[in-house]
Amino acid sequence: MIKISYMKSLLLLGILLTLPPMIFAQDANELLRKIDENLMPESYESYRKLINEEPNGKRKEYLFYTVKKGKDRVAMLYLEPASDRGRSTLRLDENMWLYIPNVRKPIRITSMQSVIGGVFNNSDIMRLDYSVEYNATILKETDKEYVLNLKAKNRTVAYDRLKMWALKDGLILTKIECYSATNMLLKTLEFKEIKKFGNGLVRPSVIETYSPLYKGYRSLMIYITIKPRKFPDEVFTLNFMPRMEELR
Amino acid sequence: MNRILLGLIFFSISPLGLAQDYSLDIPVAPKKTLEWSGNLDGKYTVMQMRPESPFYKIQFSDDLSNYLSQYRLELYLNADYRTRNMGFHLKTHGIYYNDSNAQFDLFEAYGNYNFSLNTTLHFGKQVFSWGKGYAFNPAGFINPFKDPENPELAQAGLLSMSFETIKSFRNKWLQTAALTAVVIPPAENIDQRYAEIENTDFALKGYALVWNTDVDVMGYFSGDGSAKYGADFSLNLKENIEIHGEFAYSTDETTLRFKSGLPTESMENGYSWLAGLRYLNRWNTTIIAEYYRNDFGWTKSDYSKYLGSIETALQNDMIPDNLGNVPSGMTQMQDYLYLKISQPEPFDLLYFSPSIYTIYNLQDRSYIIGAPMTYSPVSNFSMIFWPTLISGKNDSEFGSKPMQLKFDLWMRFYF
Repeated sequence: MIKISYMKSLLLLGILLTLPPMIFAQDANELLRKIDENLMPESYESYRKLINEEPNGKRKEYLFYTVKKGKDRVAMLYLEPASDRGRSTLRLDENMWLYIPNVRKPIRITSMQSVIGGVFNNSDIMRLDYSVEYNATILKETDKEYVLNLKAKNRTVAYDRLKMWALKDGLILTKIECYSATNMLLKTLEFKEIKKFGNGLVRPSVIETYSPLYKGYRSLMIYITIKPRKFPDEVFTLNFMPRMEELR
Repeated sequence: MNRILLGLIFFSISPLGLAQDYSLDIPVAPKKTLEWSGNLDGKYTVMQMRPESPFYKIQFSDDLSNYLSQYRLELYLNADYRTRNMGFHLKTHGIYYNDSNAQFDLFEAYGNYNFSLNTTLHFGKQVFSWGKGYAFNPAGFINPFKDPENPELAQAGLLSMSFETIKSFRNKWLQTAALTAVVIPPAENIDQRYAEIENTDFALKGYALVWNTDVDVMGYFSGDGSAKYGADFSLNLKENIEIHGEFAYSTDETTLRFKSGLPTESMENGYSWLAGLRYLNRWNTTIIAEYYRNDFGWTKSDYSKYLGSIETALQNDMIPDNLGNVPSGMTQMQDYLYLKISQPEPFDLLYFSPSIYTIYNLQDRSYIIGAPMTYSPVSNFSMIFWPTLISGKNDSEFGSKPMQLKFDLWMRFYF
């Protein structure tokens, strides 16, 4: 009898020892999913300005119209400057394309490339939900915030690892550090200027990024409007890229 | 409510909020039904000529300086009218050398009617761009001729009618499928206004995104009985490597060959194909490399005979008509390598994007090396300095071109 109890206790202890990391991982992934939900509606249209600031203080500005559907479909139309007007980019899961009006066909681009220069790369501008690309664990928890460690689900994701800070109350994202597979800090994203966008969406309206690899450079992404909107799947196809203006 | 309160608190205490150095009051660009756009290019070119070239002898006289210059203006003016269900698009190109030598081209003028979001009909003169190659497109059966030195240059379209339909799927292996059908009416050769209907050509292209790979299959069926069949693909191997390929098989292609030293047209079947990659390294350098093979191009021996025919004709002061029917496009032979390396803002040189490319003829080892350098200090303005070396033996393809060195300076203004 005693023997059986001893075995049971050992088994229970074993289960208890292995459960916490699993529970934490589940909790962390659930947290990440909620952080995603608080950042963007599942399907939306948005106008945003992107500013690349050079070390000498000069700026280059872009205006984008972006549409997203579900977890893995994003398309973006360049509205300004005139030299880039009519260009569009499309992301379907891990696939990305760029359409240039003069070339008249979409060409594949990579997530690490930056079609507009500056510190933001394509995956920053055409971002999918974090929970689609990363698995999360909780690194640290204080009274006010969570610090999550995000590990890329596969090799085609632009950053191998992210370190993410989110306020506990409201699960609002405040900062992300992006690391390479060799654990080198590639860039830091700071989320600022909380704004009411309507339809219950309250989130940071400015994302500022800087990188030790681009000393003195800074890029800003300013969300002007974000509105929930449903789109047919066919909007997110290569053939529709020249026609994106029809959606506005 | 909690979120809003939290937001307001966060905003009020955040030092980042206090340190704001940008305006959040940004107007959204209004949608316009009719939109005008375009660019004006001022292009100044200095050329070192090659007087021994037979092509130079055809075009120029003997007593010219070895150095020539050219200054021209090119205006690209576009208009787009769009409503939800239809649109009209106009792309024009004007080139001006002087008051007595100016030219206007209608690059594109077409309308589209959208039966639904995924089904469209196009009517008019329109550019098609089939194939995945950057510098060459062997499967681009209805594309305009591409200049591999400047593949992004706007080109003239094709008078046609086309129908396109797209369908998306929610499964792992097939995500999108699309079909494009194009009818190409024959050129009007009767009174410059009429043509025989049996000479109408047809082209078809099917596209699918399968297992994260773009795949096209295409066909071109000519009224004269000849046909072309092709396929292409493109996929990302990693987050910074893309590979692509194109393949085409053509039947009854009119080809100029040299039999007993004389230019003779023959009908041939053959293949052409391309394999290429695009690679981005950790320093943001992009490398594009392509190999292009064209069975219908000339061999080294064909090209020597072609040059010999021109020399003979020049001596007799008469160029045979069918010498005009040379393999079209910039490249006329069978095997080429293309390599382009571009590096945005090297050594912290702001707004400066240099690149270097080469088109290397593997048969006769002649080559073109160009190094366009773009400087864009402000939005909507670019300055491009573009030296080009065109070199090879006298009887080689690029070594027989009428110029050996070229310096271009372009000023480009967008609106």
